[in-house]
Amino acid sequence: MSDDNGLWLLALGPTGAAALYWAIYRYYRNTDKSHAFERETEVVAKPVTGSDRKIDEVKGTQRTRIDGDNLRAYRQRVTRIRGDDG
Amino acid sequence: MSTPHRPAPPPLPPVPPVSGPGSPQEVPPLPGTFPVDPATLPDAIREEIEAPDPVALDTAAAELKDGLNRCPKCGATDIRHKPGSDVLVCLYCRNEWVGARVEEEFGLGEGLDQLRGTVIASGARAIDADVASLMTFKCTGCGAEVMVNTESTMTARCHWCRHVFGVNEQIANGAVPDAVLPFRIKKDDAVARIRQFVDKRRLFALKAFKDEFSPENVVGVYLPYMIVDGNASAELAGKGEILTRTYTRGTDKNKKTYYDADVYQVERAVDFTVDDLPLESSRERGNLDVKVNTQNIINTILPFDTKNAVKWNASYLSGFTSEKRDTDVEQLRPRLEDQLLSIARAQVEGSVHRYDRGVRWEQERLDVHGTRWVSMYLPVWLYSYHQPGKNGGLLHYIAVNGRTGETMGSVPVQQWKLLLTALTVGTFLEGIALWIIWAGA
Repeated sequence: MSDDNGLWLLALGPTGAAALYWAIYRYYRNTDKSHAFERETEVVAKPVTGSDRKIDEVKGTQRTRIDGDNLRAYRQRVTRIRGDDG
Repeated sequence: MSTPHRPAPPPLPPVPPVSGPGSPQEVPPLPGTFPVDPATLPDAIREEIEAPDPVALDTAAAELKDGLNRCPKCGATDIRHKPGSDVLVCLYCRNEWVGARVEEEFGLGEGLDQLRGTVIASGARAIDADVASLMTFKCTGCGAEVMVNTESTMTARCHWCRHVFGVNEQIANGAVPDAVLPFRIKKDDAVARIRQFVDKRRLFALKAFKDEFSPENVVGVYLPYMIVDGNASAELAGKGEILTRTYTRGTDKNKKTYYDADVYQVERAVDFTVDDLPLESSRERGNLDVKVNTQNIINTILPFDTKNAVKWNASYLSGFTSEKRDTDVEQLRPRLEDQLLSIARAQVEGSVHRYDRGVRWEQERLDVHGTRWVSMYLPVWLYSYHQPGKNGGLLHYIAVNGRTGETMGSVPVQQWKLLLTALTVGTFLEGIALWIIWAGA
């Protein structure tokens, strides 16, 4: 904190106000809610198969996660490959 | 009286004879037959022609076709649903019975992994645009005509002899589904749940909403859904990263953390079946855009215990309103595929835990081997409030699942009050921040 004179603390007011507004608005309007069909549907799956192949290395990045991480964003669609029969 | 003699009209020019396929001279083929011998056609065309008809499940109840649902004991038609249960009760002799569960009646829970092609139950067939919403019955008791508007109701009473009629015939306008899940949550219970939901959200609620709030006005509505079973395979491809080294660089004042990682090409495939995935089959209810409506509230109270749905019987609907299906299987297919892909993504998540820096899926592929579509009415208690505003305002819902009691709602917010509170809290926090900086200087 003392490293950068604590000036980042000045963001506390606007951030706090925005976070409070956002949280209460969501609590009243529930715009973020929907049926969690991924978890609540009865799914019977066969064992997952697949392959893993090392293709590259990343050196000295400051990112804590992979760029464009969408592992848990199940509903975010990516390029759809359409087969002859699909 | 004699008619004056007129000269004969000049002869018409000869009409060339019309013949050949598709001409009026050709005798139409019998229903179910094909004019060309399929054996002479190429394989791909022959397979398509010889494929079974998609309507594989006939759920129509022949015994109810005249609109009268008679008590199996005394034959009276005044039949009501007993609140809080799945039981039908005869108001004349008090006999009680339960409709057959569609799950067992039509074997809906079996053979999901064997599903191939598209199986459509008779109540889920494509809607014929020409079929009217008004249905007229001729009362077998007195001969009077009784009209039922299938847009909003499914039962009516004969004014003269008090027979109760229900629309039980599966006409092609999408009003009669294959199955119905009766209300189990009673109105008093629904009112209490809505009141509790709003009581927790009073401080910043719109003043007009609080003034007009009367949960007793809640309405029991049967909403149309397609309940889909599916058998599918999905493939995913993308990149995953595994952390190999973490280190810091720089001096004390400017220290930064860096990471090294191995990048992998990750591919996954999974075969799976889904059982009873519910999709809104009303265009309006299926529009979940939260910027223009609050339909996501009704979507949130899913799922229902659809395994307990009973064979269609309009007597379950007396006293409740209903909405009509206006989308067909083909129109809902993109939404189903989207949801199947999401389910596949959730299924493979457990197999990529070693990628501690996450995975970026880049390509996905879905092969739907088979689906089975059943049209069903599901019970929802709906309390609505119209908030005036631009573009016609916004309709807020508080919905209670008529089976599980799960409650979700949208309460309109008094914007100025919420903004003022947020600014006040923000100013207070800023004050603390300034004090800390001043004290540390």
